[in-house]
Amino acid sequence: MVIRLSPQIRAAIQRTTLPILILLSAAIIVLGKADKMLFDSVRTATTDSLAPALETVSRPLSAAGNMFDRVQGFFTTYGENRRLAQENERLLKWQQTALDLATDNQKLRGLVRAVPEAAISYVTARVIANSGGAYVRTVMVNAGSDERLARGQAAITGEGLVGRLTEVGSRAARVLLITDLNSRIPIVIESSRTNAVLAGDNSERPRLIYLASPEAVKIGDRVVTSGEGGVFPPGIPVGIVSVLDAAGPRIEPFVELSQLGYLMIVDYGLSDSLPQPVPFPPRQGRRGKSGVADEAAPR
Amino acid sequence: MAPKVFSIPALPRVNSVAARALPIVSTIIAAIVSILPLRIPGYAALTPAFTLMAAYHWTIYRPDLLPPLALFTVGLTEDLLVGAPTGVSALLLLLVYTVVLSYRRYFVNRTFPFVWSGFTILAVGAMLGLWALHCVLDATLLDFRVTIFRTVLTIAIFPVASFLLGRAQRALIGAG
Repeated sequence: MVIRLSPQIRAAIQRTTLPILILLSAAIIVLGKADKMLFDSVRTATTDSLAPALETVSRPLSAAGNMFDRVQGFFTTYGENRRLAQENERLLKWQQTALDLATDNQKLRGLVRAVPEAAISYVTARVIANSGGAYVRTVMVNAGSDERLARGQAAITGEGLVGRLTEVGSRAARVLLITDLNSRIPIVIESSRTNAVLAGDNSERPRLIYLASPEAVKIGDRVVTSGEGGVFPPGIPVGIVSVLDAAGPRIEPFVELSQLGYLMIVDYGLSDSLPQPVPFPPRQGRRGKSGVADEAAPR
Repeated sequence: MAPKVFSIPALPRVNSVAARALPIVSTIIAAIVSILPLRIPGYAALTPAFTLMAAYHWTIYRPDLLPPLALFTVGLTEDLLVGAPTGVSALLLLLVYTVVLSYRRYFVNRTFPFVWSGFTILAVGAMLGLWALHCVLDATLLDFRVTIFRTVLTIAIFPVASFLLGRAQRALIGAG
């Protein structure tokens, strides 16, 4: 402190800062709740400016994780090798089947003159922060619009769907995990082709809602993205039905969401065709910007 | 009108920059630690409230070096970074500061179990409040079990945090 204030004034300032800041926090909570878009730019700017620092801090952790995996791998090599040999044998058969099916598929597509699927490209990004706490399920990755990421793109790993991008800065982006309370993903149950929406509720197993025919769902059914709404590519594996109770089925995700290291962000070539924010009559003001395309309101 | 609660005349003055910065810096570190992506199953949801520990420790021992503005900034930044409803952490830390400050005289120069019990009460209150606030904000009844586990974990980790903070405090600021 360079400015010397009289003790009385300093005491007065100290006395009033705390109540003012408390009121300010409360006001921010209410405003942020009333208008979800209000703090978006601030949030993106904060994320962007702190991303390099977080990346640096999380690097040793990532290295330690890799080392741990390597040491563990050292002890399990033998068993792992046998398992892989067996798996390889099985997969070779599947490969043959897949090749046959691909040829078939191509022929049939030719017959019905199907529109060719859009080319998919990936960006791989590392998780640099997660949401510590019980009420939000997000992770931050170290790639952003500089790497041509865009809001709404799907984040996946080799196992399946992780979430979607809700916020993209130039160097970092936030992924809303499928388990988050605000996550809504259009899915389809593979065996019965039943459409539904996968709704997170902050638990480890998201629920299926808006099921077209609930009686068709069985435990063990595979669930994949339906691609409805045009935001996600169809057919990304999501999980399997693991619980059936009165409140509806729950899904066990294929991806271990608490142990994310690297994510692939899928550019399905659709981000340009994401429905643009719909212009609302000016009277409704800023909230009109949120657009109808959101399956879930971003926080 | 004499300031009662907010003037803390008994604390020794420290001049070294490192010592003056320690409470704020350690609170920032606590905030960073709580968002580090540790690959432990289920950890993200159960991450102990490290900033709460730092705020409690420094409000008891050196409230003069932890201005409310710092708590507000750290809390707000944390919310912005994790994508939580903006302002919740800031409000929580400031309320914790207010409450602890008013009971501060009972905790200074007390044995650790006493300080720990104080933290236990505080953590239970804070987590309950946080849960209630999130329920209101999300307009739904959120699973309470996670909150219970997180509270227990936070209370259980506090001795470690308190030890580290105390060590740093003695090394840089001296006994306080």
